[in-house]
Amino acid sequence: MLLQFCTQFAIISCMEKPIVSISTPLGKGAIAIVRMSGKESLPVAFKLFHNSKLTSENIKPRYMYFGNFKLDEGEFEQCLMVYFKAPFSYTGEDIVEFQIHGGVLIAQKVLESCVKAGAKLAEPGEYSKRAFLNGKITLDKAEAIIGEINAETEGELKSSLQVTNGRLAEKISTEQDKLKNMIAEIEAGLDYPDEIDELDLKLNIKERLEGVRTNIKDILQQAQSATYLKNGINVALVGKTNVGKSSVMNAMLGENRAIVTDIKGTTRDAISESFVFEGIKINLIDTAGIRETKDVVENIGIEKSKQNLMQADLVLFVLDGSERESAEDRQIENLLKGKKFITVINKTDKKRVVPKQENEIEISALTNKNIQKLKQKILDMVLEEKIDFNSLVLTNERQIAILQEAKDILDEILNAKENTLDVFAMLIKKLWQTLGKITGNTENEDIIDLIFSKFCLGK
Amino acid sequence: MRKKMEERKIDEIFDSIVIGAGHAGCEAALALARTGNKTLLLTISLDAIAFLACNPSIGGTAKGQLVSEVDALGGEMGIIADKTAIQIRMLNSGKGPAVQSLRAQADKNAYHTEMKKALENEKNLYVRQGEAVDIFVESGNKFVKTSVGLIYQANSIVFATGVYLKSEIIIGKTREYVGPNGFKNSSHLSDSLKNLGIKLLRFKTGTPVRLHARSINYQEMEVQKGDDDIFSFSYMTDKPIENKTVCYLTYTTPTTHEIIKSNLDKAPAISGEIKGIGPRYCPSIETKVVRFADKQRHQLFLEPEALDTQEMYLQGFSTSMPAEIQKEMVHSVAGLESAEIMRDAYAIEYDCIEPTQLKPTLELKSIEGLFFAGQINGTSGYEEAAAQGIIAGINASLYNQNKEQLVLKRSDGYIGVLIDDIVTKGTNEPYRMMTSRAEYRLLLRQDNADMRLTEIGRKVGLVSDERYARFLNKKEKLAKIEEKLQGKVKIDEKMKKLFSENDENLPKESMKLRDILKRNNIDIFKLNDAYHIYGNEDRHLLELINIKIKYEGYLKQQQEDIDKMLKNENAIIPNDFDYSQAKGIREEAKEKLAKIRPLNLGQASRISGVSPADISVLSILIKRKEK
Repeated sequence: MLLQFCTQFAIISCMEKPIVSISTPLGKGAIAIVRMSGKESLPVAFKLFHNSKLTSENIKPRYMYFGNFKLDEGEFEQCLMVYFKAPFSYTGEDIVEFQIHGGVLIAQKVLESCVKAGAKLAEPGEYSKRAFLNGKITLDKAEAIIGEINAETEGELKSSLQVTNGRLAEKISTEQDKLKNMIAEIEAGLDYPDEIDELDLKLNIKERLEGVRTNIKDILQQAQSATYLKNGINVALVGKTNVGKSSVMNAMLGENRAIVTDIKGTTRDAISESFVFEGIKINLIDTAGIRETKDVVENIGIEKSKQNLMQADLVLFVLDGSERESAEDRQIENLLKGKKFITVINKTDKKRVVPKQENEIEISALTNKNIQKLKQKILDMVLEEKIDFNSLVLTNERQIAILQEAKDILDEILNAKENTLDVFAMLIKKLWQTLGKITGNTENEDIIDLIFSKFCLGK
Repeated sequence: MRKKMEERKIDEIFDSIVIGAGHAGCEAALALARTGNKTLLLTISLDAIAFLACNPSIGGTAKGQLVSEVDALGGEMGIIADKTAIQIRMLNSGKGPAVQSLRAQADKNAYHTEMKKALENEKNLYVRQGEAVDIFVESGNKFVKTSVGLIYQANSIVFATGVYLKSEIIIGKTREYVGPNGFKNSSHLSDSLKNLGIKLLRFKTGTPVRLHARSINYQEMEVQKGDDDIFSFSYMTDKPIENKTVCYLTYTTPTTHEIIKSNLDKAPAISGEIKGIGPRYCPSIETKVVRFADKQRHQLFLEPEALDTQEMYLQGFSTSMPAEIQKEMVHSVAGLESAEIMRDAYAIEYDCIEPTQLKPTLELKSIEGLFFAGQINGTSGYEEAAAQGIIAGINASLYNQNKEQLVLKRSDGYIGVLIDDIVTKGTNEPYRMMTSRAEYRLLLRQDNADMRLTEIGRKVGLVSDERYARFLNKKEKLAKIEEKLQGKVKIDEKMKKLFSENDENLPKESMKLRDILKRNNIDIFKLNDAYHIYGNEDRHLLELINIKIKYEGYLKQQQEDIDKMLKNENAIIPNDFDYSQAKGIREEAKEKLAKIRPLNLGQASRISGVSPADISVLSILIKRKEK
């Protein structure tokens, strides 16, 4: 059974920690709402929400307050906060809602910040459940809620199954198995001390744990990313000077950010701007036009352009459709070897003279022709397969929290100066169980089975 | 058809009857008698009371904890083990307090004699030889009929029949319908239990050969001595146990393995002759050789059975091979070339009940007033038996008094873990306690069993005034030491000396004594030497506090885990909850839940096949029922 882990049905057991979730559908939308429910909601909220006049004492229920929400990396996000005081809320508990700018990214960050500040991710149907337990929903609705929990859990089961089949869970399972082996070795020694020399145990467990830590960090990195969701896609615009890179960028951003002039070499420093498309952040890096020049400042800019190009997830190679290809263009094209790129034929409002190019798209920054198409093409090329946002994000929230917890435990074990074997064993087991929340394997009997299959023990 | 009981002559009426006087039965009977119940202890042989049928030792990893817990509740095993110990060792010392366990070589004969004495001297307790052959339950009264036709009536019965139910001893092709060591077995009671609707299992275990000491060549063997200055199992024992004997370590040889391999067709355990399920942790030597074929040798321990006998127990050499091959095998072992076998090794098959038929109180779910304890529940080991015995005894007594019964939680002790495991998950082999089964073992230590359980034992009336006074006195002393440790000390020469001697950096300002203990290299004994907080005579107390402070962070973590768990543990599922009508719970889970009938959500969540989603639905249904 997949979801059969005893430690994980925190539904009843963790009533003090407020639960938190993104309440609005993920993806597009002008605003997103992150909701937190529980006795400690307000204290947790005030760890994150800043409004110079507002305190947990003077806040009035059902009023909307404007302020800054402190994100993890010290960034702030403008935010509206509403407080519903128990019992006058959906769940019957204190509820705090944050209204923030729409899109997956910000909502996700706000959610993560809440978890770090002491909330826990809501289980399927948990809001309704709390509402019921607190008498906010009539008995007639109980049946419906049960259905809801089942449906959502089914959903969770399905997405867990996907995760289990996927590479990520496979990797986690591998690490979990390594831990299980370590536990079995330690436990065999502890339960059969007279036979331990016989076991020929090499308790180089710390070393082996270092290996696990490296891998967990790695997995965490991957989970955190499905990276584009978190950090956005980096797209570099290259092209020789004056093909209209800045205009293309502005067209995509929808406003004038980069300086656009007719003088060649106007954009000397790389300019980076971001926009959100289909719920995903896209970072556009406008590079200095690449050309042979003696201008020192411009040369530095060009070197930087080359760097940006190398680091980008995708390159937009911009050509002026109304001009013939030059040697310079071909030089730039050479730089693109091995990179994912789209050839953007700009200025198609004029007569096209450039011949058909590899993986091209015809646009006009001036008339906005095909700008949306270009955005879609960027997503399609980078993400390749279609991603089911909802399921990906949902599993990630859980995974990231769990993996972070696992990493913390590993740090605790490996950073401790000296631990007796009993504590050591306790922490490794805790680690194993923590990862089990993703894979579903936390049956203690498995360890005991392993002890006896691995070692010849007993009188 | 059976005659109505009223029409029969009742020979004697008791409050309770305990069937079987092994380690479970003795504790059950004493617990009942000591809490004021007129109790009959019925045993097939008075000479088999508290018989150490297998190894002559008490305790060991996890088992040592069980003994101390039984003791803290007011049981007898620890006291008798201390009295009859002839060698004692602390296992896992140096691996941390949570996994340290006492193990004593017990004098097998003395253990039996001392326990028999304790039973005989207990008022309210009637010890009688006799075989129970039939059980009747009529209008709340329970009746036990013996093989000679006597009929006893009682309000409750504790079944502690050990491995005696339809037991058979197997040596090679020989099968004997007898109990352990050739004692008479119990050949009718199983059928009576079946008639009561109880589901039975058939398990198997075994015991190695006993050798004559004079025929053993110890020259090549490693001597295993006891530890000096070791504390006892019981909180009632004052003087440290004296080591009066040693054990020896030897090994099998390639010849041993060859003999075994060439005779596998004659090994009942391998050939399929034995159908009963044996324990993995107690494999026969032939099983070890087959399963771990790449192992060059297996270690064997020679342990004296008692001070007044030459019999030596050969630990690790359990087998059911034919007697003549056993002899060959023994002679192939280093130092045993001319060893005389005094008793053959044997395997034993027996009936036991499926333990999931029991509540966590060890009362049968289907018939109230019937309790089960020990190997009849599919467990193995003297300590596991005693642990269940004392709980069954306490609960039979509470049942008689019409009081709420006692359930020890997993966070209360190993006893709680043991009982919860078998009644919730069942077992498909004889169940042995292991420290790895206890999730809160940092808190469930042998050294604090009294702190955990004495109050509970007192509440049920089993902890004597004397024991309770000792306990209170200890608590008071602990509080006093802790208070002293709250005191602050200045950075003076004394501190400088202590810190520099132990490679610790001096603090910037004065600090609490307690906080000095958080330093890695300074333990309470060093601290005490420097600051004279408390007399050194109570090393045990100082050690307790040392653990408490040094492990504070981890203990807190476990306590938090426990608090979480208790939320579910306290969510009681009504007795009459109808799972068939429980909408929203999956069919598979419904079946399991209906079979186990867990007392609370915590227990429900530990049933295999019940998912967190099922539990969450169940919690709602319970709430709804309450409203």
